[in-house]
Amino acid sequence: MSKQEQLEAILSELKGALPELKEIIVASPDGLPVVQLGEGGIAARLAAMAATAHGLGKRIATTTHLGDLVEIVIRGNQAYFIAYAIGEKGILGLTTPAGSNLGLVRLEAQEYARKLAETL
Amino acid sequence: MEPLKLIVTGPVGAGKSTLIRTLSETEVVDTDALASEAIGKATTTVALDHGTLRLDGHLLHIFGTPGQDRFDFMWEILAEGALGVLLLVRADRPETLPAARNILDFVVSRTQVPHVVGVTHLDRPQVWRPEEVALFLGTPPERAVGFDPRDREEAVKPLVRLLELMGA
Repeated sequence: MSKQEQLEAILSELKGALPELKEIIVASPDGLPVVQLGEGGIAARLAAMAATAHGLGKRIATTTHLGDLVEIVIRGNQAYFIAYAIGEKGILGLTTPAGSNLGLVRLEAQEYARKLAETL
Repeated sequence: MEPLKLIVTGPVGAGKSTLIRTLSETEVVDTDALASEAIGKATTTVALDHGTLRLDGHLLHIFGTPGQDRFDFMWEILAEGALGVLLLVRADRPETLPAARNILDFVVSRTQVPHVVGVTHLDRPQVWRPEEVALFLGTPPERAVGFDPRDREEAVKPLVRLLELMGA
């Protein structure tokens, strides 16, 4: 299996664990889409924005003495955007509806970010 | 003193972050991430740079944008409320001029404020002169300023020109 296929398989597994997820993307640290799963046709946009949110989040965490950045959560009244660093190699970004079990989404997403780090 | 908001924009690798690091009198906020494309350097700005300085009796807040067009949402966000635009272009990379023109159109059409074109990397071989860059961009030649963003004396030159145009 190519690296791309392995990454796609990991995203499919994540989608299987959390079927309510709408968009799932892996972005490079500088905002290029590496692999994506979703129907919105917004993967390229989301990859750039995930990198921006993550880059800015890191700076906010440093400036305000929060320690190391753990996650980015953007909450709308209909859904969440959540992003985690995949080590130093990329960013996992996903959207999930407002009614989701956010605790579970966080646990799974962090677990899959670790899996992705081994493959990416 | 009312601070003046300026933005520094332009294609990747033009020297935007370098300029802000050279000029800022306060700690610079930068958002570098590892580059995954061959852009001639290890890291690239993904959100913004921010620095401040006092120049000619004004307090300037300078916001630098990312260079790649996938970050055009940041151009829009950072251009909000800007009173002047400094577009940086590399003299030795004429192939980036169409991207520079695209950024200029995008930002100037939204802000309707004065702009200056800063031309960097003039110490390299085979460069376009500032007036040639201005001609390509359809900008009056007196708005194109050649300078070295690594040197403080040099780095204020395009800002001084921009303040003149802003009538500040």
